[in-house]
Amino acid sequence: MDTPRTNESNCWACHASLAASPLLCPHCGKVQPSAGINYFQAFAAVTGGQPLLTLDLAALEREFHRLSRKLHPDRFARASEGEQAWSLAATALLNDAYRALKDPVQRTEYLLELKGQGVGEQNAGRNKSADRQPPADLLEEVFELNMQLEELRMNQKMGEDDPALTADLTRAQAHFDGLLAQVDSDLASQAALWDSGDDTARAAALKSMASLLDRRRYLRNLVRDVKDALATPAL
Amino acid sequence: MAYSDKVIDHYNNPRNVGALDKSSETVGTGLVGAPECGDVMRLQIRVNPETQVIEEAKFKTFGCGSAIASSSLATEWVKGKTVSEALEIKNTDIVRELALPPVKIHCSVLAEDAIRAAIGDWKKKNGVEETATVAAH
Repeated sequence: MDTPRTNESNCWACHASLAASPLLCPHCGKVQPSAGINYFQAFAAVTGGQPLLTLDLAALEREFHRLSRKLHPDRFARASEGEQAWSLAATALLNDAYRALKDPVQRTEYLLELKGQGVGEQNAGRNKSADRQPPADLLEEVFELNMQLEELRMNQKMGEDDPALTADLTRAQAHFDGLLAQVDSDLASQAALWDSGDDTARAAALKSMASLLDRRRYLRNLVRDVKDALATPAL
Repeated sequence: MAYSDKVIDHYNNPRNVGALDKSSETVGTGLVGAPECGDVMRLQIRVNPETQVIEEAKFKTFGCGSAIASSSLATEWVKGKTVSEALEIKNTDIVRELALPPVKIHCSVLAEDAIRAAIGDWKKKNGVEETATVAAH
């Protein structure tokens, strides 16, 4: 794994620039070490190596298939040990990168992680929760919905059916689905600001996206719980 | 990840689950949520207007075992304390008592936030200065 490289952005074998294709030399086709390459850079042909949130998904898929073929470990069965290991590592990175980048939410989460604003339970407590508190009206709705869900589950356990409650929950599900769609559309607007804005706009977009993703996680869990509860037939 | 015995005890036998009359002058209500995991926690206190002692505390939490245990413990701890004593409760005390692992520390933060929010609500209703809660963050 320690074959010397001239520098971060040149092919170890032919010294051609790797700016447009960090995993695979565009000149001599040699596989490159992938340490330190992020997902956006792995798809430099689509992203220009920049952390862009608006991506051409068809181009992303084409590049994924192209690189997957070229980097496949089977092609390096007779290559040096170093190249075999690099092709394995590059393939693994490529798979992770594709999975994350093809989904707009995961793509945004990855960007926030890169920028040190990671979200999710693992990062909880790093920021004091007070600055990340969801708005009070949303909390009220969330709490109320959870109460109704609990009542529904209780009824189901007792083998009772309360049509009014089911109707309430069906309405709530539609309402929260709508809120979720709104969050997704807000995320798309912020993504556009991130891609095209100046430094100030980008910093603001990053912050909004972090809180939108928090809100999204909240809503997504709720919608899932309501769906599950409504799908469970009374015993 | 295994829960500690204390978490399991509070989870299986939560103390003080329920609700107090939100509209009462002597009741403070704190509703907080953890966007990271989707938990939501409501903690209510009934304060004696003469002594400022918290005479009753109730909670209702939708969330994981640690969140339920943290809020259950919080209601036990605030009961019998004065409002200003209750503000001294830190999330780290809850972490220690329940032996919460690092990934569950935010549950204790949530419980501390809920205590502060409930006291803040009571103070607002009763026109008490709110400097203490603001300074703490």
